[in-house]
Amino acid sequence: MMATYKVQIDDVVRDATPAEVAQIEARHAEAQAQAEALEAKAVARQTLLDRLGLTEQEAQLLLGS
Amino acid sequence: MGIPSGYTSSQVVQAVPTGINSALVLISSTTIDSAVASVTVSDAFSSTYDAYKIVLTGGVGSVSDSAIALKLGSTTSGYYEALVGLTYANSGSNSVTNNGANFSRAGQVLGTSVLFANIDLLNPNLAQPTIANYSQVTSTLARVGGGFLNNSTQYTAFTFTPASGTLTGGTIKVYGYTNS
Repeated sequence: MMATYKVQIDDVVRDATPAEVAQIEARHAEAQAQAEALEAKAVARQTLLDRLGLTEQEAQLLLGS
Repeated sequence: MGIPSGYTSSQVVQAVPTGINSALVLISSTTIDSAVASVTVSDAFSSTYDAYKIVLTGGVGSVSDSAIALKLGSTTSGYYEALVGLTYANSGSNSVTNNGANFSRAGQVLGTSVLFANIDLLNPNLAQPTIANYSQVTSTLARVGGGFLNNSTQYTAFTFTPASGTLTGGTIKVYGYTNS
């Protein structure tokens, strides 16, 4: 079953059309993928720090970020 | 030139008074309804102005720290953006969009309690690429940057869409920078 969303055009609010639903869900999926990629990068960073035996603070001192 | 009688130094005027060569002029004010997944402002851009400021304040989001994308007209490709930033723990946190579907971080839900956008937009109604400058502030990081929309379409409308969840309340104000 297709999700329902409300969209606003100026002062008028209505249910989203199928095309608008597709765009909204594409936007949500894009954001979810970006969040997951960011999380994966953070996990990879922490895994590397653990392997090197460095704390986050030590890594920042070493890398300058 | 001094400040004309009846105006204060920070006042935004509805019409440019005689003798004033530059001003921000309020074009439209749109109040966001309850739990909407997108908000479109029609007739925002015209040949009257080349440059615009879009300001979103007030309201709430249903999902914490959700970015709010800016789409011009119905265009869903050709957006390029780059933002440089830091987390509040002093780690670098940049973000890029290379030929994306929108300016993905032009606005923001900060936590869940604040909606905001502060966007300068150049040339949206001219037959040349549109340039955007904005910042992103979340509960964990802040970034500054902008980008451009790589086409020569002349736009009159724009749409805000959160990355997830919905928007409630808040006001979108569009101002034009006078051309002369």
